[in-house]
Amino acid sequence: MKFKSQRVAYLFFATSLLLFSLQIVYGFIMGFAHLGFDVLHDVIPFNVARTTHLNLLVVWLLSGFMGATYFIVPEEADRELYSEKLAVVQWAALVIVGVIAIIGFHLNYWEGRKFLEIPRPLDYLVVVDVLLFLFNVGMTAWNGKRFTTTGSVLLVGLVAAALLYLPGMITFESQVLDSYFRWWVVHLWVEGVWELIMGGILSFLLIKLTGVDREVIEKWLYVIVGFTFLSGILGTGHHYYYIGTPEYWLLVGGVFSALEPLAFLGMALYAVTMARRGGMSHPNRIALFWTVGCGIMSFVGAGFLGFAHTLPQVNLWTHGTIITAMHGHMAFWGAYAMLVLAIISYTMPLMTGRKLFTGWVPEWAFWTSNIGMLGMTGAFAVAGIAQVYMERKIGMDFLAVQEAIEVHFGGVLLAACLLTLGIAMFIWNFIQYGLPKEEAMAAEHLRHAA
Amino acid sequence: MLSKSQARLFFIGGTCFFSAIFLGLTFHTLGQVDARQNLDLLTAEVARGKEIWDSNNCMGCHTILGEGAYYAPELTQVVKRRGKEWISIFLRDPQAMFPGKRRMVQYDFSDEQIGDVIAFLDWIGKIDTNGFPPEPDLAMAPSLVVQASAQTSAPPAYFQQVCIACHSVGGTGGSVGPALDGVGSRLTAPELDRWLADPPAVKPGTAMPNLNLPDATRAELVNWLSGLR
Ligand code: HEC
Ligand code: HEC
Ligand code: HEM
Ligand code: HEM
Ligand SMILES: [Fe+2]
Repeated sequence: MKFKSQRVAYLFFATSLLLFSLQIVYGFIMGFAHLGFDVLHDVIPFNVARTTHLNLLVVWLLSGFMGATYFIVPEEADRELYSEKLAVVQWAALVIVGVIAIIGFHLNYWEGRKFLEIPRPLDYLVVVDVLLFLFNVGMTAWNGKRFTTTGSVLLVGLVAAALLYLPGMITFESQVLDSYFRWWVVHLWVEGVWELIMGGILSFLLIKLTGVDREVIEKWLYVIVGFTFLSGILGTGHHYYYIGTPEYWLLVGGVFSALEPLAFLGMALYAVTMARRGGMSHPNRIALFWTVGCGIMSFVGAGFLGFAHTLPQVNLWTHGTIITAMHGHMAFWGAYAMLVLAIISYTMPLMTGRKLFTGWVPEWAFWTSNIGMLGMTGAFAVAGIAQVYMERKIGMDFLAVQEAIEVHFGGVLLAACLLTLGIAMFIWNFIQYGLPKEEAMAAEHLRHAA
Repeated sequence: MLSKSQARLFFIGGTCFFSAIFLGLTFHTLGQVDARQNLDLLTAEVARGKEIWDSNNCMGCHTILGEGAYYAPELTQVVKRRGKEWISIFLRDPQAMFPGKRRMVQYDFSDEQIGDVIAFLDWIGKIDTNGFPPEPDLAMAPSLVVQASAQTSAPPAYFQQVCIACHSVGGTGGSVGPALDGVGSRLTAPELDRWLADPPAVKPGTAMPNLNLPDATRAELVNWLSGLR
C-alpha cells in the first residue's frame, strides 16, 4: 500500500463479504423452497427471499467495486485519496441504505420490479451516496499527478453505471415500457458499463501481478471494452423479443447479442495471455488465480451460457425458466463475484503487511467455491432443460413439472454446500489478515526505496 | 500493428455509433409500442392492477411476459388459461385451490382489488408479444376418451372454468379431486346439491373448498353431474 488512505478499501471489502454470506443464506432458503420445504413461508415467503438474495448480491458487488476503486484510484493518480473521512461517511450511508432496504423487503416495502426492488425514496439516497463516492474519487483523479487508461476506464464505467441507474427510477403505467427501461439498468449494467469496471480492475490486477508492460495491457483493454459496447448496446435487444416491442428486435437483438461472447472471450484470453507472459512468478499466486479465473469463468457463464439461450429461436422456449437462473448464477459468479474476490486477495497482504496468501486455505477456497458453483450451474441446467421440455414443449401443468424436477434442487443444494465451504475458507483467511496497518505502508516504501 | 490511440478510437467511435443507433431504435419502438400493447385498453382499472402487482412483488415468485421468478406459474396468458371466474375464486384463498401444494401468499384483497388484478392480467394477455408463450409443439393429442365418456350434454361454462382445475372428466382436467366420470351413479341429485352447497359442512376437513355457488349455477351443475353415469 503506497498511500495511507487506501486502507479505507478494507471497510468496503469486509462489508462485501458479510453481505455475501447473507446472500448465500437466502439462496439456501430458496433452494429448500424449490425442494418442497418452504418451512419459512409464513415469515419469509419466496418473493422476500428472492428479492433479498438479488439485492444483497448487487450491493455486495457494488461495495466491492467501491473498495477496489478507493484502492486503485490513489495508486493510479499517485496521491492520497481526496478525503478519507468522506469515504467513511459514504460507506456508512451505503450500509444504512442497505439495512433499511433489506428490512423493508421483509415488511412488504418494495417495488416489485426484479433487481430494482429498492423503493423510490431510498433510490434518492442511493443517488446521493453514489454522488459522494464519485466526487471523492473524481477529485482524487483530477488532482492526481498522472492519470492512466486503467483509471479512466474504471471511472468512466462507474459514472456511466450511476447515470444508467436513472432510467430505472421512471414510473410507467405500462408494463411494457416499465420492462423496456428496466433493462436499461439491468442489461446495460452487466453487459455494458460493469464490463468497463471489470476491464479496469482486471487491467490493474494484471499490471501489478504479471509485470507485463502497461502500454500493452491498456491497449488491449480498449479493444475489449470496444467490443463490449459494439455488441452489448444493441444486444439489449435480446430482452426485447417477447415483451410487446416490435419484431425487428428479434433480428437486432439476436445478431448483436450473439457477438457479446466475443468481449468475454477477449477478457479470458487477455487474462490468460498476460499471466503467461508474466511467467506466473508473482508471489501472491492466489490473487493471480482469482484474476485469471475471473476471465475464464466470465466467458463460461456470460459468454458460453449466455449464447446458449440468446438466439430468439431458443429463447422463445427458455425465456423465463430455470435456464435463465442457471446462466444468471454462473455469469454473476465468473464476471463479478470472482473479480471482487480477486481484488480482495491482491490487496489484503498490501494493506495489512501480512503474507497469508500461501498455504492450503486460500487455495482450497478457490477450488472448492468454483467447483461448487460449477455443480450448481449443472444442476440448474438439468432442471431447466427438463422444465422447458415438459412445461413448454409438451404443455404439462406447471406444478406437476415442478414436482418432477424437485430432485435436481437436491443437487443444487449439495453443490451450494461446497460453494459455501469455499467461501467460508475465503472469509476465514480474510479474518486472519486482521486490520490494515501503517507498518504495511512503511514496508512498501522500503521496498520501493531499495 | 494496432496502436493504443487507434484502439482508443475504436472504443470511443464504436460506443458513440452504436449508442446513436440504439437511441434511434428506442425512439422508433416508442412510436410502435402503443398499438402493440393496446394503449386504449389500458384503463384505470388496469393501472390499479399493476400497482397491486408491483407493490406486492408478485414478480418475486411469478414471471410475467417471461420476466420475474421461476417459483410459480407464468401469468402472461393466465386469463385465457384459467378464466376470470376461476382466478377470482383462487385469489380469495389460493391454498384452497391447490391443497398441500407449493404455497402462494394469502393476500386479503377486496373484490375490487381482485377485479383490478384480473383486469391487469387480462390486458397483459392481449399484448402482441411476437408469439410468447409458445404453444407446446410436442403436446399429446387430446385423448379420445373424452368422446367416449357417457356425457349427456356439454359441461356448463362454470364447470369448465373452475371445477376442471381440480377434477377430470373423460381424462382431461386436474387431479386434486377425484375424477367425476360416473359421479351421477355414485351420488344422488340431493346429495350432489348438498355437497356443492358447502363441502366442509358435509365432510369437515375436506380439501374441496366452499365455492359459494349461486343457486342457479349450482342447480345447473347438479343437473349436469347427475347425467354423468
Ligand atoms: C380446489 C379443488 C377443487 C375444486 C375447485 C372443486 N373440487 Fe370438487 N372435490 C375436490 C376434492 C379434493 C374432492 C374430494 C373430497 C373428499 O373426499 O374429501 C372433491 C369432491 C367432489 C365431489 C364428490 C366426488 C365423489 O366421487 O365423491 C363432487 C361431486 C365434486 N367435487 C364436484 C365439484 C364441482 C361441481 C366443482 C365445481 C363447482 C368442484 N367440485 C370444484 C376438490 C375440488
Ligand atoms: C410466495 C410466492 C408467490 C407470490 C408472492 C405470489 N404467488 Fe401467485 N402463485 C404462487 C404459486 C406457488 C402458484 C401455483 C398455485 C398454488 O400452488 O397455489 C400461484 C398461482 C397463481 C395464479 C394461478 C396461476 C395458474 O395458472 O394456476 C395466479 C393468477 C396468481 N398466482 C396470481 C398472483 C398475484 C396477482 C400475486 C401478487 C399479488 C401473486 N400471485 C403472488 C406463488 C406466489
Ligand atoms: C457478466 C455478464 C452477464 C451477467 C451478470 C448476466 C446475468 C443475467 C441475469 C441475472 C439474467 C436474468 C435477468 C432477468 O430476468 O431480470 C440474464 C438474462 C439473460 N442473459 Fe445474461 N448475463 C450476462 C451476460 C450475458 C451474455 C454475454 C449473453 C448473451 C450472449 C446473455 C444472454 C442472456 C439472455 C438471452 C437472457 C434472457 C433470459 C430469458 O429470456 O429469460 N447474458 N442474464
Ligand atoms: C449458495 C448458494 C445459492 C443458492 C442455493 C442459490 C439459489 C438460488 C435460487 C433458488 C434462485 C431463484 C430461482 C427462482 O426464481 O426460482 C436464485 C436466484 C439467483 N441467484 Fe442464487 N443461489 C446461491 C448463490 C448465489 C450466488 C453466489 C450468486 C452470484 C454470484 C447468485 C446469483 C443469483 C442470481 C443472479 C439469481 C437470479 C437469477 C434469475 O433471475 O435468472 N446466487 N438463487
Ligand atoms: Fe442481457
